[in-house]
Amino acid sequence: MASWFLRGLRRGVVTTRYPKTIDPWTRDLPAAPAFHAHRLTTALADRLAEQCPAGALAREEAELVVDLGRCTGCGRCVDLGGGAVVNSGAFLLATSNRAALIKRVPIGGSDD
Amino acid sequence: MTHAIGALTIAAAAAWLGGAAAGLGAGRRLGVRASALLSAIGGAAAVLAGILLAVHGAGTTLRFGSGPVGAATFHIAPLAAPFVVLLGVVAVANALYAPRYHEPAPGTAVYLLVYGLALVASLAVLIAGNVIAFLVAWESMALTCYLLILRHHTRPGVAKGAFLFLALSEVGFVLIVLAFAILATQTGSLDLVTIAARAGHMTASWRAAAFVLALIGFGFKAGLVPFHIWLPAAHPVAPADGSAFLSGLIIKLGVYGIALFGFVLLAHGPAWWGLLTMALGAISAVLGILYALMERDLKRFLAFSSIENIGIIVTALGAGMTFTAYGQRAIGAFLLIVALYHSLNHGVYKTLLFLEAGVIEHTTGTRNLDRLGGLIHRLPRSAVICLIGTVAIAALPPFNGFVSEWMLFQGLFQGFRISSHTVGILIVVAGAMIALTGGLAINAFARAYGIPFLGMPRSRAAADATEDGQPIAGPAMLAAACAFLGIGAPLVLTALDRVARAAVGIDIHSELIVPKLTVIPAHTAFSGFSPTYLAVFLLAVCAVPLLIYFAGRPRGASRRPPVWDGGILSFKPRMQYTATTDANPIRVTFEALYRPQRHLERTSDDPAGRSGPVHYHFEVLPLFERYLYVPIIRAVQWLANRARPIQSGDVNLYLLYVFVVVVIAYLIYAY
Amino acid sequence: MIDVLPETELGDQLRRRAIALFGRSLHIRTVDTGSCAACESELRLLAAPHYDLHRLGFFFTPAPRHADLLMVTGPAVRAADNALLKAYDATPDPKAVIAVGACALGGVYTEDALLHGAVDRVLPVDVYIPGCPPSPIALLQGLLVAVGRLEDRVAGLSLDLDTRRSHATPRSQ
Repeated sequence: MASWFLRGLRRGVVTTRYPKTIDPWTRDLPAAPAFHAHRLTTALADRLAEQCPAGALAREEAELVVDLGRCTGCGRCVDLGGGAVVNSGAFLLATSNRAALIKRVPIGGSDD
Repeated sequence: MTHAIGALTIAAAAAWLGGAAAGLGAGRRLGVRASALLSAIGGAAAVLAGILLAVHGAGTTLRFGSGPVGAATFHIAPLAAPFVVLLGVVAVANALYAPRYHEPAPGTAVYLLVYGLALVASLAVLIAGNVIAFLVAWESMALTCYLLILRHHTRPGVAKGAFLFLALSEVGFVLIVLAFAILATQTGSLDLVTIAARAGHMTASWRAAAFVLALIGFGFKAGLVPFHIWLPAAHPVAPADGSAFLSGLIIKLGVYGIALFGFVLLAHGPAWWGLLTMALGAISAVLGILYALMERDLKRFLAFSSIENIGIIVTALGAGMTFTAYGQRAIGAFLLIVALYHSLNHGVYKTLLFLEAGVIEHTTGTRNLDRLGGLIHRLPRSAVICLIGTVAIAALPPFNGFVSEWMLFQGLFQGFRISSHTVGILIVVAGAMIALTGGLAINAFARAYGIPFLGMPRSRAAADATEDGQPIAGPAMLAAACAFLGIGAPLVLTALDRVARAAVGIDIHSELIVPKLTVIPAHTAFSGFSPTYLAVFLLAVCAVPLLIYFAGRPRGASRRPPVWDGGILSFKPRMQYTATTDANPIRVTFEALYRPQRHLERTSDDPAGRSGPVHYHFEVLPLFERYLYVPIIRAVQWLANRARPIQSGDVNLYLLYVFVVVVIAYLIYAY
Repeated sequence: MIDVLPETELGDQLRRRAIALFGRSLHIRTVDTGSCAACESELRLLAAPHYDLHRLGFFFTPAPRHADLLMVTGPAVRAADNALLKAYDATPDPKAVIAVGACALGGVYTEDALLHGAVDRVLPVDVYIPGCPPSPIALLQGLLVAVGRLEDRVAGLSLDLDTRRSHATPRSQ
C-alpha cells in the first residue's frame, strides 16, 4: 500500500471541524486589541491613535473609538500601550452591520 | 416528351443567344436587365429540359445540316440531365444577380455578350452528339470563359489568372482531342452513340490510352490535383457571377467528361481505371482543403474549396468504376448517382457562396478576411443566406451536402464487398481521406463564415458596409434550392436513378429509396436514413426547447446586463482572432506540407513594435508550381531553344527545306 | 454607468432570505480591487483540504454569471471600478457582496484620487469580514454568517476588559 495512505490513516483527518469546534492554534492569531480602560489616559489614547497605521484608533473626547473593521492586527498599540492594551484574541468578527464593528472604550485613567 | 425536351433545349439556347445580343445594349441599365431577363428565361427552360430528361430517362437527337465532317449532331442524353439542370439554375441565379451587380458600361456589354455565348457553349458541350460538335463546343466554352475572366483586365492578377486558365485549358484540350481521336479512329465513327456501342471491340491498350488521356485532359478542366493551379489564380479575379459560373458549372463539365468516358463511351473498364481516378480524387480533396485553410482571400479560399469538392465527386466516380469492374454493379451505379448528386449540390452552394463573396467585395471593397468582421449586423439577410450555404457545404444536416456526403461514405464503406482485399482496403483508405477532408472542411468554413460575419469589424470598410442595393434574390433562390435538394432528396435521387439507369443500364430504385422516404446505399440492411424525416426531426428538436422557454419564462421584469467580457475596459477589434491565427493549429500540424517561408522584419528593437512597424511575410510553398510546372516549362523552353536554329530567317534554308520535303514525298509516292 | 439599486428594508430581507436558501450550495466569485493578495492567499487556502469549503457547500466559480456571492478584496481602487461594477452587474440576482479584509473595510488606505478606500462606497455590502488578512477560519465564519447558518455576535463584543459583561466571548463562535 502507498505510504502516504498509511500515513494518512495513522494521522487521521486533518480537515478542521469548524464550525463545530475552533482549532486551538487560532489562539495565537493576530487580532484586535482589548483595553484596560482604567489604565488608558488621554495622552496614551492620543498617542495610540496617532501611531495606528491602519487608522483604526481615534480619540473622541473621553472615549477611544476602535474601528475593528480597519484593524490589521499589527500589534503596534499593544507594544506602545504598556500594560493597557492586550491582544483580545477576537478574530471571528464577521458582521452585516458595519456600525457594530466600531467599539467605544471609555478612557478611565488620568495623566498624572 | 422527347419533342418537349428538344424544344426546351433549343429555347434555352435561343434565349441565351438573345441575352448575349441584348447584352450589347448594356451600356444602359435597361440593357443589363433585358439581358438578365432573357438569361433567366433560358435558365428556366434549361432546368425544365433537364428535369424532363431525367424523368423521361431516354435521350433525343437533333441534327443540323451536314458539313465536311458530318452533321452537327446533338444527342441530349440522360447523363447530361443533372448538368443541364445545374446550368439552368446557375443561369437563373446569375440573371437575378446581374442587374444589381453590374454597372452599365461598355465593359459590361462585352461581358454579357461573352457570358451568353459561354452559356450556349456549355449547353452545347453537354448535348454534343458527335466528336466534332463536342470539341468545337468545348473550345468555344474555354475561349468565352477566358474572355469572361478578363472583364476587369486592368486590375492586378487578372491577366495572369486568365492566361493560366487558357493555357492549362488548352493543354487539357490537346489531351481530349487525342483521346477522342483514338476513339474515332479505332471505332471508325465520329458519332458518340456509335462510339459507345463499338468501343468494346477496341484493344485494351487503346482503351486504356484513351481513358487516361481523357482523365487527365478533363482533369485539367475539372481542377484535379496536380492539374489545378489555374483555379485559384483565375476564379478569384473574375467578376462574382463569372466566378460563380466557373466554379459552379464549368469545372463540372470536366466531371461530365470523365463520367462520359468512364461510364458511357468506355464503359466496363478494368479496375485500375477506377482506382486511378479515385486516387486523384482523394488527393485533390485532401490537398484542396488543406491549401484552402491557408488562404486569407475569400475567393481564393472558395476556389480551393471547389478543388476539394471536385476531388470528392471524382472519388465517387472512381469508386463507382471500381465497384462496377468487380461486379458490384449496384454499388457502382449508386456511386455514379452520388457523383451526379454532389455535382448538382456543389454547383448550387458554391454559386451561392461566390455570389455572396461578390456582395461582400462590392460593399466593403475587400476580399481579405482579415479586414472584414461583424458583417452579420451590417448585412443581415446576406448573412443568413451565406450561413445556409456554409452549413450546406460543410455537409451538415439537413442540407444537401450532408445527404450526398453521407451517401458517398456509405458507398465507400462497402468496399469489403469487393473480392480483392487490397482494392477493398484502398477504397476504405479513400473513405478515410474523404473523412479527413470533411472534418477540415467544417473547420475551414467555420473560419470562412465566422471571421467576416461574426465579431467586430476589423476595418472601417467592414464597419460601413450596407446591404442597400446589393443583390439578394439570386443567392436567396439558391439557398432555397439547397434546402430543397437536401430535404427533398428522395425526389431528386429518384430522378438521378433514372439517369443512371439510362447511362449504365442498372436500375437500383428499390435499393435506393425505400418506403418512408428513406435513402439506402444500394444494399438493404446496410444502413439508411431519411433526409426528409431528419429535417422534420431537427425542426422538432429545436422547437421543443423554444416552446418550453417561451411558456415557462418569468413574466415579470428581468434584467439584461451586457455580455460578460472579463471586465475589460473596452473590446477592440484587434483583440479578435484573425483568419491567419484561426488556421494556425492546422498550419502547425501540416507544416511538412506547407513548408512556409517566414520573414520577419523589425524597424526597431522593441519586440512589440510600439516604436516602429513590424513586417511579417508568410508564404506557403507553391508545391506544384515549383516542382512540377516550372521544371516542365523549363524543359519545354530548353527544347524550343534547341529547335530555334531551324527558323533561322534565311530564305535559302527554307528553300532547302522545301526541296528536301518534295524529294521525300516523291520517293514515298514512288515506292 | 451601471445602476446599483437602492436597498429597501423589505428588499433587504427578501434578499437575505434568498441567500439563506443558497446555504447548502453557494457559488462564490472573488474580485480583487487592488489588494496585496494576502486576502487572496487566504481565500485560496479555503479550497485546500485543511479548511475545505466544499464540505460546507461553498464553491468558487470564475464566472460572475454563475455566482451567488461576490467576495471583494482590496481598497476599491478607482481603476478597478469598471471591472468591479461589470462583475456586480453580471452576477444574477439574488446576490450578496462580502467585503473581505481591512482594506476593503476602509482601513490602511484613505479615500483619494486613486481609490475609494472602502468597498461599500462602490457596492452595497452585505457582510464585512475584518482581518489583515482574515484567517481562513474567519472567512468561513463570514460565509456562514452571510448564508445565515451562523449568527454574528460582534454587536455583543466589548473591548473594555474592565467591564466584561459580554453575552458571548469572541471565541465561542
